[in-house]
Amino acid sequence: MNYLTRQEVAAWLDRLAQEQTLIAPVDVAGNILYRPVKDTHDVVWDFVRSFMSVKEVFFPPTERLMLIEKIGAEVKLTETLPEEESIIFGVRPCDARGLLTLDALFIENEPVDPYYAQRRENTTLIGLTCQSLGPSCFCSNVGGAPDDPAGMDIMLTASGGGYVAEIITEKGEKISKRFPVFDGLSEIRPHPSPARKYGLKIAPKEFWPAKFNDDFWAEMAERCLSCRICAYVCPSCRCFDVRDEALPGGNGQNQSERVRCWDSCNGIPYRRVAGGHNPRFMKNQRLRNRFFCKFYYFPLHYGPVSCTGCGRCIDACPVNVDITEVLGYVGRR
Amino acid sequence: MSDKTNPNPMLPYLGKLVDVKDIATEIKLFRIEMLNGGAEAFHDYKPGQFAFVSSFGVGEAPFGIANIPQNGGNLVDFAINRLGSVTTDLHELGVGDMVGVRGPMGNGFPMDEFKGKNLIVIGGGIGGAPLRPVIQTVMANRSDYKYFQILWAARNPSLLVFTDEYDEWRATPDTELHLTVDQADSSWNHSVGLITQLLEKVAPSPRNAITITCGPPIMIHFVNRVLVDKLGFQPEQNYVTLEARMHCGVGKCGRCNLGTKLVCVDGPVFTMAEVGELLESFL
Amino acid sequence: MPYEPKIIAYLCTWCSYTGADTAGIARLKSPANIRDIRVPCSGRVSPEIIMRTFEQGADGVLVLGCHIGECHYNTGNHRAAKRLPVLQALLAYAGLEPTRVRLDWVSASEGERFSRIANEFTETVRALGPIQWKIADRNTRFVWQQEPVSHRYSAFSDEQPKHAVYFTPVHEQQTQAIRASAAELLANKQVDCVIGYEVGPRGRTRPAFVHQAEDADRLVWNQDCTHNLTAYLSKKLGWGTDGGKKKQPDRLPKAAVVVKPCDSRSINVMLAENRFLREQVNIIGVACDGIRQGAGFNDEKSGAIQTRCAACKVRTPVVYDALIGEPDTTYREIPPEHIYPGIDHLDAMTPPERMEFWLSQFDRCIRCYACRQACPMCDCPICLYERDDSLWVGMGIDVDEKRAYHLGRAYHLAGRCVGCNECERACPMDIPLSLIHRKMAQEMETIFGFQAGMAAVPPPFVTILGGEENLP
Repeated sequence: MNYLTRQEVAAWLDRLAQEQTLIAPVDVAGNILYRPVKDTHDVVWDFVRSFMSVKEVFFPPTERLMLIEKIGAEVKLTETLPEEESIIFGVRPCDARGLLTLDALFIENEPVDPYYAQRRENTTLIGLTCQSLGPSCFCSNVGGAPDDPAGMDIMLTASGGGYVAEIITEKGEKISKRFPVFDGLSEIRPHPSPARKYGLKIAPKEFWPAKFNDDFWAEMAERCLSCRICAYVCPSCRCFDVRDEALPGGNGQNQSERVRCWDSCNGIPYRRVAGGHNPRFMKNQRLRNRFFCKFYYFPLHYGPVSCTGCGRCIDACPVNVDITEVLGYVGRR
Repeated sequence: MSDKTNPNPMLPYLGKLVDVKDIATEIKLFRIEMLNGGAEAFHDYKPGQFAFVSSFGVGEAPFGIANIPQNGGNLVDFAINRLGSVTTDLHELGVGDMVGVRGPMGNGFPMDEFKGKNLIVIGGGIGGAPLRPVIQTVMANRSDYKYFQILWAARNPSLLVFTDEYDEWRATPDTELHLTVDQADSSWNHSVGLITQLLEKVAPSPRNAITITCGPPIMIHFVNRVLVDKLGFQPEQNYVTLEARMHCGVGKCGRCNLGTKLVCVDGPVFTMAEVGELLESFL
Repeated sequence: MPYEPKIIAYLCTWCSYTGADTAGIARLKSPANIRDIRVPCSGRVSPEIIMRTFEQGADGVLVLGCHIGECHYNTGNHRAAKRLPVLQALLAYAGLEPTRVRLDWVSASEGERFSRIANEFTETVRALGPIQWKIADRNTRFVWQQEPVSHRYSAFSDEQPKHAVYFTPVHEQQTQAIRASAAELLANKQVDCVIGYEVGPRGRTRPAFVHQAEDADRLVWNQDCTHNLTAYLSKKLGWGTDGGKKKQPDRLPKAAVVVKPCDSRSINVMLAENRFLREQVNIIGVACDGIRQGAGFNDEKSGAIQTRCAACKVRTPVVYDALIGEPDTTYREIPPEHIYPGIDHLDAMTPPERMEFWLSQFDRCIRCYACRQACPMCDCPICLYERDDSLWVGMGIDVDEKRAYHLGRAYHLAGRCVGCNECERACPMDIPLSLIHRKMAQEMETIFGFQAGMAAVPPPFVTILGGEENLP
């Protein structure tokens, strides 16, 4: 039987937490966020959607790329690749699709980004199918589904106080087969069922160029605040900034680190160059670029549409700039 | 250091400054010796490519490579205008200081396709820097290219770059060099006026010709208008190299897109026909 | 090795720096812990400099200027005298011991005074121990483990005070009045645009921009009209930072805006700062009974009132061209603990507890800048905390940097924040920003008797760069 009770799942995760870092959904001041946990004591089992996506585990808000040390006239660079192995429990299908979208850019497109690639390599995903959709969810319109196992290593489907388990990849096997609770698992399917292929229901990307100069973008952008909430909560947005920042140095060495951190094309200084010229100084140019990037430029270059239909941006935007309104407009003839 | 079998595109090669000289007001020419095997990266260098220069502790910024790296790619030139935080810090450095170089990046000019054609190079201000390797290529392989015209401009004489090389350029066979400044001083005895005015005066023929323009975006725009509207060039004949704010240079950070194209990997060299098809304006 | 405090002293050229020299010449003992930095005037020492000094590891900061009345620049030291107490209150509120900052006056001839102050301050800082301020490790997470500090009503009970009961006024009348006003203004071409509220397809109230008289029917008024629409005014009126539009003096853009009483105070602050001209804006003021919690994010029709509304004494706009609704000219008596709820709870904690509280709040921050973008007052062309050269704070999303940004912004809003709480509502991580900004407002009221935005006058001292020209 492929069925595990919640207690069995908790016990299994507790054992795994002793070997690797376990990351799971926890409640932080009312927000469900993925955080490292020592055991399953604080894990939230029943939730619709986390506030931030698992993207922040693989593409952290701030990440050191290398350490720079100036020793006299010499400079020493030390690359700081991530090494930790971890397991994330409770990943929703939309978040996993977001990772597949980022894979298309960071891994499948040369050159490979080693920081992201290493984290993907070192992390196992245990997914949870969605029991209910949120009011802003639209994953099935962009090629996903509440039970889509794409990107997961193990998929759990909640059912009557327990979970039906499917082991999908070898990585999933590695953290399950050796535990007695998985004995007698009737099938180990290495690939997602072909029956679960979902189509795109939004307008194809070819609809977009003709709408580039429409007044719609200025109208929609009038209320936009040019903050960065939508890009930061999005499972597939990935713009980043790179800069050197000084570190408190010791031993007379001049130490700094090169970091990269999240950024968004919505922000005013995104394209501002030294000297002050800013090609995208108007809000409507920036907002338009964000949607075109997600639904036209990204699929043109890399394949997948850069949206998983999770609806986080819709719920988080303080002025109700709504991606589904945009998609509805573009899809109209 | 990144090793060749598993390169980290975000990790720079180390370089040592072997020469720093003022070539114009607030513009310095940096000659960098690539260390730790970084020279290999420049073996397949094409004129028009750019690289990121790091001022360690401040950050890095993209600059057009201003020469054909000599000695097997060991020495790389950059002409850098002091304008922001990275360039200000670079201007403080002197011979012997270490910088980082990540590159070469971008698509570069298709110099092979230009063989057998008349070339017109149009440079404005610091925009002349990525055009210098084009000029050097033509000079080194003169018989591969036909008639060669260089139009060089700046706001005033103190902002013209590579002034000590003009004689060498003029001395090249079948080559014309035309200079203009927007505002002259008493020592100036060449044309005065905008580059577009000079272009109309020189009036190069569009037959079997290629133009290569680099300069401020507004200059590129107006130069192209003159070429197409007044001199009969087709947009496909006009090559430009564009700039944008960049942070990774390898197509990951998403910042430099102009519509569907990324300036760092699909550019920075484009024909004006391609630029015209981009949804977004580069201005 | 015993701890030796690192102290940075900002000494003004004309008096205190020379005073320090005098102490040296007279061979008076001053501690070696103090590193002097010479500035033209104590008024030059802006709070960003002091906060940055602490972040870079100083255990104490000493600011010495000329005696009041003796400043070489007349009023430079007045500025220091006004700014420092507010900064100290802010830093104390964030968990830093306020005695780590000292402002004093030393004249050029007072070598003994300099030496005495230097020694005293060094011992004070020595007794406080090394500073615990900068948390260098970006992987540490801070989670508040103690009882919740609720800045909502009923921190300790579920009951809402009687004066804060939300009832349903007649929205239809106000809606019709706003529509009529807007249609008339647009039809007569008195304004180019009316900024109001509409209900979107999902049922959420959101800002609306109406350019044609026939579209005026989009506008509504309801219990969810939470946004501070004045945040859009600077740009709509042709000024402001979104692109450098050239101002055409003969034809300045005009706009009408629907404002609640709190929003109308924002307009006063902006007028005092010369953000736009009074004749450019037509103010449609609405007498307000309060806005629902959750407004703008979900479309439920009733519920608890927002905290800021329950604490609000000003139920009628303070400036308007047209008034919609019944003017309420009496202040409502609100018990003091309800005006700044939650602040006394934090004040009662020890500094380390407060520091832990704020670290746990800023830990969640994702530096999306929604707070800043939603705020009508935050409109600097280049935000101090978003510079490309990382002058005041790094660009990373680490807790130190986020705290520096929020505290800096709170200081910059002192005397300018009108308490609309849009920053807190926009924050996706539920960070209780109103607890900081209202603390600053409380300090401004206590020290200077000043409330932002009640009239179009500048605040007692300028907290942002630029704006000194407005001061008398």
